[in-house]
Amino acid sequence: MAEDLVLDTAIRDWVLIPLSVVMVLIGILRHFVSKLMRSSQVPDAKIIKEGQLIVRARNLRSGANFIPPRSFRARRFYFSNEENGLLHVPKGQAPNPQAQMFSDPNMAMDMMKKNLSMIIPQTLTFAWVNFFFSGFVAAKIPFPLTQRFRSMLQNGIDLSTVDVSYVSSRSWYFLNLFGLRGLFSLILGEDNATDDTQRMMQMSGFGFDPTKSLGAEKDSLDIVQHDWALPKFEQRAEAVLRKVLS
Amino acid sequence: MDNIPTFNAEHLQSNMKTVYYSRTFLSIIGGVIAGIMGFTSLTGFIFYFLIMAITSVGLLAKAGFTVHSYFDSWNRVLLDGFLGGLMSFVLFWTFAYDLVHIF
Repeated sequence: MAEDLVLDTAIRDWVLIPLSVVMVLIGILRHFVSKLMRSSQVPDAKIIKEGQLIVRARNLRSGANFIPPRSFRARRFYFSNEENGLLHVPKGQAPNPQAQMFSDPNMAMDMMKKNLSMIIPQTLTFAWVNFFFSGFVAAKIPFPLTQRFRSMLQNGIDLSTVDVSYVSSRSWYFLNLFGLRGLFSLILGEDNATDDTQRMMQMSGFGFDPTKSLGAEKDSLDIVQHDWALPKFEQRAEAVLRKVLS
Repeated sequence: MDNIPTFNAEHLQSNMKTVYYSRTFLSIIGGVIAGIMGFTSLTGFIFYFLIMAITSVGLLAKAGFTVHSYFDSWNRVLLDGFLGGLMSFVLFWTFAYDLVHIF
């Protein structure tokens, strides 16, 4: 019993297409604006040192099986012994960098700027859509949904007999919001300002990086069991050489 | 001779990026095709999975069917990013369907 509504061409011309075009353009604009506004942070020497240390420890962990047991143990001792091991953070010093991170004005400013540049265009566009494009059917989604979605998708439309597939422009806005992410990642390359999930991961990685991850690295280094992977190395080399020479 | 798995992380990551881009692009194109051809509901979703399967086969063919020299497991090239393109697909499917069928 799907009555096929015939919608005005004007809706298509003046609602669907402009909304999509505007969202794409705003996304591009936001990407470039955030690139311009990114203040160059003077990197703190101590933090960089700790970061590099973690990278070294990680490399040791991943390559552990390729060096002889004794040298692996020697390296591990260098990192994690109790007195002057590099990864061992004495208890008193631990909370300090964290506090420094939060009171650092640059970092807070950066995060706020990023947040704002995220939220403001979305809010503005949503308000614009609600103001101009409410109260009529905007599009038909090609698959049927249950009655529960009616209140969510058909917000401005007050008829309850219209098929749930006919949605208002608010839901077109949301559909665009989620669907254009893929398009942006194709157009703007990997590091674009529109990807929410990446941004959240970056934000949570900032404040707690140094001390907790040092402790975590030390623990995971301690866990590693050395499994000497190259015991029969000479035989392997011999086999390969034979194959090559024959 | 036992094979020790060694992977260059950067290369692996760049390969994964290629897979992601291919899937996104093809899901957009697939959405437009589904809309133009007037698929509705279940047919459309089946079409989406068909497109994803074609992407997987295409990627396998490009990798010469030796998955292990480019990725670390079969799952990565077959299943990764399957549902990531769904939202873009639905968006472009709706768009094309409306443009063509509901003037």
